[in-house]
Amino acid sequence: MANSKELIKTTDLLLEIASILMVSGANTIRINSNIDRFVEVLNYKASCFISHKSIVMTVYTENDLESCTRVKNIPPYAINFSIISAISKLSWEASNENWSLNEIAQAINSIKKSKRYPRIIILLAVSIAGAGFCNIFKGDYINMLIAFISTFTGLFILQTAHQKHFNLYFRIFLASFIASFIASLGVVYDIGANPVAALVTSILFLVPGVPLINSFTDLLDSNIINGLVRFTTGLMIVLAIAMGLFLTLLIFQLN
Amino acid sequence: MQESLIHLIEVATWSGFAALGFGILFNIPRSAMVTVFCLGFLGGFIKFLLTEFELNIIIATFIAVIGIAIISIPLAHKIHHPPVIFCVPPVIPMIPGYFAYKTVLSIMNFIFIETNLDKRIELIDAIYSNGFTMVFILISIAVGISLPMLILRKTTVKNI
Repeated sequence: MANSKELIKTTDLLLEIASILMVSGANTIRINSNIDRFVEVLNYKASCFISHKSIVMTVYTENDLESCTRVKNIPPYAINFSIISAISKLSWEASNENWSLNEIAQAINSIKKSKRYPRIIILLAVSIAGAGFCNIFKGDYINMLIAFISTFTGLFILQTAHQKHFNLYFRIFLASFIASFIASLGVVYDIGANPVAALVTSILFLVPGVPLINSFTDLLDSNIINGLVRFTTGLMIVLAIAMGLFLTLLIFQLN
Repeated sequence: MQESLIHLIEVATWSGFAALGFGILFNIPRSAMVTVFCLGFLGGFIKFLLTEFELNIIIATFIAVIGIAIISIPLAHKIHHPPVIFCVPPVIPMIPGYFAYKTVLSIMNFIFIETNLDKRIELIDAIYSNGFTMVFILISIAVGISLPMLILRKTTVKNI
């Protein structure tokens, strides 16, 4: 009986790790390899099915006499590369030093508590990135300022809508519409050398780079379902961005 | 020559900043920031150098992304972070925003505004050429970033 309790605890911990990795934006290959490393330390074997909203995992003993299958729902997605890196490092340490179940659980808990950068730093950094984009697309420094302001406002709206638990695609539409609206004022009043550059770059901070890149990585490794799911998510986000831009262009009748 | 070199460095620096900004949005660890900036700079430098020599933008992007992905694998071993952390933020500045904008603009004009038949044909050309350039750049980014990691994954990064 004690043995089966431990098995359930192990399964829960592994599911927790897999779901944290999934939420943080790891691809399926990485999740599987991390789980394999942890499961080897704990002297079990594991097989799992990972999809976008839930994970099914069976953990079993070498001789196949005992097994435990559980399902876990995945919380909302928030890309966090620090967590991916920390869990990857943890898995290597654990397998090198032969950690016990409790030690791994404690380490995972402390990783889960790690904080993100403060909101204002994220806002400023992404806005500077938007200004940088504008320079890449041949804008001058006045255009870069417009791109900075519109990215800042757009991201602010996106974060606020996120806190109010709006639908993902609706809040991306909203952010895209507002950011492009502000930037297109520059086009209407013809501010700077290349105002279109500011309009183009004002919405680039919304681009779903991580889902799209992960989708191809998954597809190339024959995780077809997960690859398609991620691709569809990325496509829906692109569609929402295009809708926001579309509305702005229609309002200002730009051509 | 010298002027275009200075311009190239300016643009590459800004793509470094763009990479760093996205890195912070994705919450990269603090110890990875300098590397992400340098890789963003390098990627921008390669891409704009190649487009300066009038290489097709799709191929230029592909070469720059493959370069970033290959360099990030030994770096990952040295700085002790998985390679994804170094190679995803620097490729974000290469996303074809301009072509996406042109495509959406042409679609809107085609549907809502333009009635002249000749201009409509021009718009169809614009929709297809910009749209497919955008799609192929996206594919070359995705494949370029995954291929080196997948090929070298079998031996795992730690053992290289």
